[in-house]
Amino acid sequence: MTIELLLLSIFIVAILSYVTTKVNKTAGAILTIVGSLIPLLLFLVVDLKSTTTIEFFQFSLNPLGLFFAIIMSIVYSMVAFFNPYWMKKLLHPASYNFLYLTSFASTLGLFFSSSFIQVFFFFEFVVWTSLFIIPLGKSRVASIVYYTISAMGTFSLLFAILLLYREYNTFDIQTTLTNISYNSNLGLVVYCLFGVAALAKLGAFPLHIWLPMAHGSAPDTFSPVLSGGLVKMGAFVAILMVFGMNSTFMFRDSFHVIHTKILDGIPYQNYILLALGAISIVVGTLMAIAQDDAKKLLAYSSVANGGYIILGIGVADNIGLSGALFHIFAHATATALAFLAIAVVSYRAKTTKISELGGMIHNMPITYMMYLIAIISMAGIPPMAGFISKWLIFQTLIHNGLIFMAAAAFFGSIGSFLYVFRPLAALFLGQKLPKYDHVKEAPLMMLLPMFVLSGLTVFYGIFPSFAWNYIDPILKSYHLTEMAPTLFQLHGYNGNLNAPLIAGIFVIGVLIAFIMFISLPKSRKVSLMDTYTAGEFIYTPDLLHYAKDFYAPLERLYANHPSILKFYEQLVNKIKEFGQFVKYLFFSKKVEMTVFWIVIFITLILWGGNIW
Amino acid sequence: MVIVQGILIALAVVLGAFIWQTALSGVNRKIVARLQKRRGPRWYQEFLDIFKAMSKTSVSHGWIFDFGVIMAVGGIVGTAMLMPITNSIVAFRGYDNFFIYVYLLAIGMLGMAMSASGSGNPLASIGVMRALTQMLAYEVPFMLVVFTIIFNTQASGLSLNGHVLSGSVLQDITLFQQAGHWNALALPLGLIVGYISLLGMLGKKPFETFIAPAEIASGPMVEYGGKQLGMLMFMHEITVFIEVSLFINLFLGGAQNLFEYLLKYFIVYTSTNLVTNVYARFKIDQVVKFFYRWPFALAIIQAALVIYLGWVI
Repeated sequence: MTIELLLLSIFIVAILSYVTTKVNKTAGAILTIVGSLIPLLLFLVVDLKSTTTIEFFQFSLNPLGLFFAIIMSIVYSMVAFFNPYWMKKLLHPASYNFLYLTSFASTLGLFFSSSFIQVFFFFEFVVWTSLFIIPLGKSRVASIVYYTISAMGTFSLLFAILLLYREYNTFDIQTTLTNISYNSNLGLVVYCLFGVAALAKLGAFPLHIWLPMAHGSAPDTFSPVLSGGLVKMGAFVAILMVFGMNSTFMFRDSFHVIHTKILDGIPYQNYILLALGAISIVVGTLMAIAQDDAKKLLAYSSVANGGYIILGIGVADNIGLSGALFHIFAHATATALAFLAIAVVSYRAKTTKISELGGMIHNMPITYMMYLIAIISMAGIPPMAGFISKWLIFQTLIHNGLIFMAAAAFFGSIGSFLYVFRPLAALFLGQKLPKYDHVKEAPLMMLLPMFVLSGLTVFYGIFPSFAWNYIDPILKSYHLTEMAPTLFQLHGYNGNLNAPLIAGIFVIGVLIAFIMFISLPKSRKVSLMDTYTAGEFIYTPDLLHYAKDFYAPLERLYANHPSILKFYEQLVNKIKEFGQFVKYLFFSKKVEMTVFWIVIFITLILWGGNIW
Repeated sequence: MVIVQGILIALAVVLGAFIWQTALSGVNRKIVARLQKRRGPRWYQEFLDIFKAMSKTSVSHGWIFDFGVIMAVGGIVGTAMLMPITNSIVAFRGYDNFFIYVYLLAIGMLGMAMSASGSGNPLASIGVMRALTQMLAYEVPFMLVVFTIIFNTQASGLSLNGHVLSGSVLQDITLFQQAGHWNALALPLGLIVGYISLLGMLGKKPFETFIAPAEIASGPMVEYGGKQLGMLMFMHEITVFIEVSLFINLFLGGAQNLFEYLLKYFIVYTSTNLVTNVYARFKIDQVVKFFYRWPFALAIIQAALVIYLGWVI
């Protein structure tokens, strides 16, 4: 099986799915499951070949591409299980299924490309396919913003690719990136352009505004793909620019930020990247705390987690890169799981607004447990996968003495407790609202992918060393020291981690607590309304449900924050004004402008050749 | 065999910690009472309270109410099991990484918060909201100081690592201090931040907003009674043990023998109780403002002094 054939077959399934959906919606949606599940099995079981038969395409089976492709296949295939249930809700189910699979095929194509022009081609293809899926949800404006920001990314990528082509006369990724590291002047330009592409796709500050809009208003089944899958393409580009171009070598002569006796310092170019990552964490965290829509909240948390990935990559060492790669995996599974849990709520209760929901745990306990596992991982608490990656990233931040980045990272990780708890407390817990009495648990087909994702999150949290089967080849391909962790030991710069031990101790702790609990006298069950109300008599559950403005005292402190959105709006107004001025000059039907141009024209003619 | 031995030591640590800390709470109640010219309860009053609560039948607000309590006690007991007491009383040598405490402690907190919100009482949710907000305030400056400590020590474990990456020195945070100066002396600004954060962690005034007994009816604990309350009181004592022990290990050079450890523990814990009695309560937004104005700035200055200038005593 070659990669080419694989992509082609997914594409054929996509067309098949389009036709089938026209006849039978559910059958078409099931084809999307098949189309995304088979590649995953192929990646895990079969050795793919990279030989190509079609003239234009060039693929290579590199370890980095394989790592990303597996994560992408996991996310796409698991989310696909939700598709059959959304067929009735979507305006154009056939196009949705078609675009779902084509966007999947193009991401895979992107990761395995060995030529830059092809990277650009697939990059654009992903943008275009997802562009048409987003307006199938709530809002059309979201997809315009999404396209604008993505266009900034793709066009700067194209510009960088063409610059590289002009210099080295080839599109080959390996050759151009190896050569560019010896040319630090052109390298800096290409680095910046790649940086724009990476930040735009990853949704990092200051190009993060599309994330909450697109994630918040895309169809519930596509939000997990956007957040868990597509934004990770930005991380792919970031790895190419920091490690592929060997930025530490390329910028070895440039100014190093805080170069002291103890520290080597970081080249200022990488430091700026790190700073943007740190700002993303802070902005994402603060904004996520203030959201009322659960999907927007998770979208802002993706901004913050993108910041962690940038921090891991930008430090440019093996532990940092391992941390970033592990975080890509941990966040992809956790965020997809959380988004799917919210999708279940949306499917059953028809809303994702936290302030409108309450007590969902009594209707859907299994979905609640899935969401709980997802947020424990997102908050970086052991024994989930998110802890391992945060631990690695902290290790490298401390080793390099990056005070401000560490402050942002700590802020983000504690802040994540706040925002992930918000849907937990107000949406799933709290009073059981009578208007949702009819709501039932998710159907089995929806629970199945959630079980798989939560299983992955827990498994890699307890046995992280298995992930290095995929991470170590990547480290090797960039000539970094391999980590080679054993089952019980993961080495950092200043300590080691024994993830199974921690998990084991936690289990012992819970066991002790459980024995304590059952051996003590049994308690009498009372209703949720039977609570202490300080002497007041309240009979409506809605009045006893604390869901609106959950973190009001904290939000007040930064309510008047400067917003990048306002800056963009001003920019839009300025461009509009300029456009109107141009229109007034050249395209207006006003008499005075016509006379003006005639006068100018005649003056120029009368002036004759003397003007030059 | 090593692992079984480790678990047995760990369980002994948890049991010992419970007895010591609960007794000390009782003693502290007496000390505070004497300050206020009262006689105060007997020193074993806290034990009576806990065991009495545990023996009573109680009410439950659904399975998450109980599950959260189990998760809370489980998480905290698990965290306490990893805590090194002295140089020789260490259950799992080399695996007591600082970050494990921060995050494993969080799972206990999460369990308790979940259980409290699951009770359906808005007062409990308000308490949880305040507790989380306060956590955001004190934890970041504290972690920055520990960041400085780890950078300075080149180790993030409290006890000696079995294996360290090539190139770095074989050491740990407590032995490093015992060989040189305590971090309390080496990083004076860090000590100030650490102590203020400790007050925040323990929920001592001026940072006891989330309990606020007069205002939101004892905060997250409002709905509890019987065994749930008893277990959460047990959890509270263990949490105090973890936080104070962490402070001793990070700033006061750990301990070489049990007596030294208990003495340091007594001094630190009693001092927080003395401080708490002369302060009034901050509002929650004042807590956040305070922590990000002073301790955060001090933590950054301390980190910059150590990392950029290399100024360590």
